[in-house]
Amino acid sequence: MTAIALRMTGADFLKLRRRRWLVWLSLFLTFGVLAIIYAVTVIEHASNPAEYAPAGGASNFKDGMRVLALFFGPLAAILIGVEAGTGDVSAGVFRDLVVTGRSRVALFASRVPAALALCWLVTLTGFLLLLVGSIAFASNLPTPGASLVLNGLGFTLLGTGVLCVIAVAFASFTTSRAGAIVTLIAWQVVASPLLSNISSLGSARKGILSQAIVHFSPVSIEGRRGATVSMSQGTALLVLCVWLAVFLVLGAWRTRTMDA
Amino acid sequence: MDSGSSELAVETDGLTKRFGTRTALDGVNLRVPRGCAFGFLGPNGAGKTTMIRTLLGLTHASAGTMFVLGHPVPGERDQALQRVGAIVEEPRFHPHLSGRENLRIVAAVRGPETAARIAPALARVGLTERADEKVKSYSMGMRQRLGVARCLLADPLLLILDEPTNGLDPAGIQEFREMIREMVEQEGRTVFLSSHLLDEVEKICDAAAIVDRGKIVTQGSIAEISRGGDGTRNELIVGVDDIELALRTLDASELVLQAERADDGLRVVLSGAADTAADVNATLVRAGLRVARLEPVRHSLEQRFLEITARLDEAPEEVRA
Repeated sequence: MTAIALRMTGADFLKLRRRRWLVWLSLFLTFGVLAIIYAVTVIEHASNPAEYAPAGGASNFKDGMRVLALFFGPLAAILIGVEAGTGDVSAGVFRDLVVTGRSRVALFASRVPAALALCWLVTLTGFLLLLVGSIAFASNLPTPGASLVLNGLGFTLLGTGVLCVIAVAFASFTTSRAGAIVTLIAWQVVASPLLSNISSLGSARKGILSQAIVHFSPVSIEGRRGATVSMSQGTALLVLCVWLAVFLVLGAWRTRTMDA
Repeated sequence: MDSGSSELAVETDGLTKRFGTRTALDGVNLRVPRGCAFGFLGPNGAGKTTMIRTLLGLTHASAGTMFVLGHPVPGERDQALQRVGAIVEEPRFHPHLSGRENLRIVAAVRGPETAARIAPALARVGLTERADEKVKSYSMGMRQRLGVARCLLADPLLLILDEPTNGLDPAGIQEFREMIREMVEQEGRTVFLSSHLLDEVEKICDAAAIVDRGKIVTQGSIAEISRGGDGTRNELIVGVDDIELALRTLDASELVLQAERADDGLRVVLSGAADTAADVNATLVRAGLRVARLEPVRHSLEQRFLEITARLDEAPEEVRA
């Protein structure tokens, strides 16, 4: 990455991190939700240890990781990505950046790493809480091993990162903040699970993004994958790459050709 | 940094922009000399903002060629715009960021040397004290000034300002005029200023073009435009003791193109240059008239603008040809 690209990414990161509502909401989704889950389970265990298991341990770590990587983390990623993709246009600043003479594709490209940086930062806070909680509240349960932790971290960053990049590109394509958020959340939360469970779609379901992401879940190693469509590692990787490539091309094309 | 070699800051030939069936710019041939304040004058909807947006590459031209600071646009758009600062329509910013942070963002996009210009630019527009406040707390006047500061980050040879005094109070307008004149006279920059305010253009600009319905109706120095297309239109108001005799005398004179009654005496259009007025006086005196008043008519841009647009309303094709 050249010095100018780094500066532009830094500028885009500045725009995002100064959006207080965005940072706080993302932190709530990644850190806050897990903190609430821990608080409830710790209180339950403390009030009735015979009925409720400890809040920590490897098993709870896996459950928390799935909550973070597959649900709340992607929601935060979508919010951050959409803001990165539409922030300049909705503030009316895009044209002022275009009149600098800088390539529009470069303006688009700098949004992606900036959004990823914030997305992964807030995701990491949630993951750290998960890790600390799973050890601190393990009591007599086994704690997650290094392999599970590292694979879980990679999976969480992959799940949120892919959604974040797609959100940046899709929002740049639509230029509508509300439209992009509603569409992406509806796709992620409603349409994807629904389509995944329609068995008559057969192998076409391999093309569903969430199915390809779930394929990389370390939980599957221990038989708790949760995916309804099986596919090879190569196919899953190809599906991810196609999704990313298509949306990035669309976002860059729109940014390059739109009237500013 | 290459600033182009042309003596013109902006040059367009046959520039045309269509939105569907509507033609917003219709074969515009514009020449903006360097080192002056140039007014781009026209009524609302005449095509001023479209012209600016097209020049800056914010929208694509349908036909024609453009050169900005000697560089063809869009072919060398990036080089052309390196030394251009522009405010298109109202200046917009990220409201949740401070003024300084907004400038940091543009500086990051413009290049590493630009960051050092942030503080001087803020000082130049008098915003140093408030630079760390969020832009959403700024008044319209402060936003305009911040917009100018953003332009200055490019160390611009050419500033393109679209209706820059919109929303400013009278003191702000005066301050803005002075700043523009300083930029032209002391710093040698070219300022291209679009406006529908005739008075504003007349007070700030050295030259102008009048645009209406997507076409350039006339262009030249303010004095030339005010006096007429060729810059030689000369008129006098003449006060005499016998108007009928004066009319007969002037009608017979080769010095006069036209003479007619007016509320304040006779209105006389001269055939020659300014010193013809003295000859007219001599002619009237020789005819036995007592000349009480001989006053050159000072043409205003407003008057000329209204004449042109009124003629366009009556016979648009004839005037444009």
